[in-house]
Amino acid sequence: MSAEKFEVLWPLGRKAVEVTQPAARLPDLNGKTICELWDVIFRGETIYPLLREHVRKKFPGARLVEYSEFGNFYGPREREVIADLPAKLRERGCDAAIVGIGA
Amino acid sequence: MLRASAVVEKLGIPTASIIGSGFLKQAELIAKGLGVPLAIAEYPGAPMVDSEEELKRKVGEVLAPGIIRALTGERPRESVQADAEPEPGQVVFGGTLREVQEHFHRKLWSDGLPVIPPTREEVEAFLKFTDRDPGEVIRVVPQEGREASILSIAVNGVMAGCRPEYMPLLVAVVEAMCEPDFRIEDAGSTPGWEPLVIVNGPLIKELGFNYGQGVMRVGRQANTSIGRFVRLYLRNICGYRIPPGAGDKGSIGFTFNVALAEDEDYAREIGWPTFAMERGFAAGENVVTVQSVVCITPPTYSAGARAIDHVQQWADVMGASFTYWSHTGFKRGLWHPLIVAGPSIARVIAREWSKDDVRRYLYQHVKITAERAAHHARMTSTPTFSLEQLVKDGVLPPEYAQSSDPQRLVSVFIKPEMIGIVVAGDPGRNQSRGYMGNHAQGPRMSRRVVLPKRWKELLREARGAS
Repeated sequence: MSAEKFEVLWPLGRKAVEVTQPAARLPDLNGKTICELWDVIFRGETIYPLLREHVRKKFPGARLVEYSEFGNFYGPREREVIADLPAKLRERGCDAAIVGIGA
Repeated sequence: MLRASAVVEKLGIPTASIIGSGFLKQAELIAKGLGVPLAIAEYPGAPMVDSEEELKRKVGEVLAPGIIRALTGERPRESVQADAEPEPGQVVFGGTLREVQEHFHRKLWSDGLPVIPPTREEVEAFLKFTDRDPGEVIRVVPQEGREASILSIAVNGVMAGCRPEYMPLLVAVVEAMCEPDFRIEDAGSTPGWEPLVIVNGPLIKELGFNYGQGVMRVGRQANTSIGRFVRLYLRNICGYRIPPGAGDKGSIGFTFNVALAEDEDYAREIGWPTFAMERGFAAGENVVTVQSVVCITPPTYSAGARAIDHVQQWADVMGASFTYWSHTGFKRGLWHPLIVAGPSIARVIAREWSKDDVRRYLYQHVKITAERAAHHARMTSTPTFSLEQLVKDGVLPPEYAQSSDPQRLVSVFIKPEMIGIVVAGDPGRNQSRGYMGNHAQGPRMSRRVVLPKRWKELLREARGAS
């Protein structure tokens, strides 16, 4: 093979990501409103009710708002659903959210 | 789904994101691209293959505690800060051809095949073929949040083995893939779809594309290197890499598609509009269209002197392949099957039928029972699939819920106009083939190819140099 040397350019693009700090966590979920967001796949119809049970058992004062209130954020109306999320979460007094399911 | 988590975190609301074990590395990469550290709650394994009991146990023992930890524990601290990286246009390595290959393999910058070393001189040769600024950014693309710039197109074009004069076409391809509706953010989804570039216009001949026998085989530089470029671009700019990379979750996947050029002479001769004309462009315009392909039908042979002989066979053979995946299109109200019609077959059909007649026939005759569509959706990911609900939500037209009989037949093609038809392949044989798109991921996006002002002169120079 040839001994010719090649100086090569970087083949990737510059990262242009604006970094945001995640929200502060909640030490206690009692008295808090937890909203469920679901992309309507991977057995969420079974998983979310089980999660509800567990959360309620550990934090009897937690209020859970079911995924049906928010729509499918990975469906045909994805953009509208995501655009409407801030208002819907605010209206429901959301303190925390469970988002699923990536599998 | 992590995009939704990021939106919520940015509102100041903590989230717990449910991720299956096999997707943890991809989740990490996506979170970096979104610029928000996210708290992940792992579902061990794959929920679609667990028994009810197993699922209940995993939720109780692992997922639920993980959710609670994610919401009440420490703020997620994974670093999403970009590591220090070179600047675009910077020389990052020097070595022999073999050393360059090794370096690129190690860095996961190649597709497993040798690449042409992207030296400054080679890249400059590509940049001559566009009047656009090399630093111009077409879009910051998911999933790593990188800039898709004119320079990055040139570098990856060199690497893929393209010729400099393909540059205007490569720019148009990237622009098409960067359209938000193309959903490049889903190009690493598990079905493992690949973009397909369809080329129309005088460039087909000027650049030496194959549009005849063996049209979809590797072997002709224009078709092959442009197809390869697309895969390299998805790897290097978007970050879709199979292991040991992390972003490409195609479960099995398949290799890149070579670019498909239409046999426009034949289409004109039989009186059919070209594919690009049907996309709204004038005859003679150079156009690229990019769409996803998730599966290719068997080679479909058809014989006879009547249109119906052939289209009926398409409905039978291609319909069988398309039928299985139609539930994914039903869920989004959109998909885009493509037929590559063998020229001799297209000629027979065109004597009696327009392309719209063909589409209408397929729409009316390729059907699936509601029960089978729901079954396939359940098998894939969606136990709650319901045609009735999709009609109620306005995703599907009313005819999909005309009765509640699970054995009722519904059309596989939601609207006739979703079916694309390109004339290409071997005029000496009677074969066609279908290419199935992946529902709302990678729908057809077309772009006019903009040539540089000095195109003719540059082309002459490039050819003289080779």
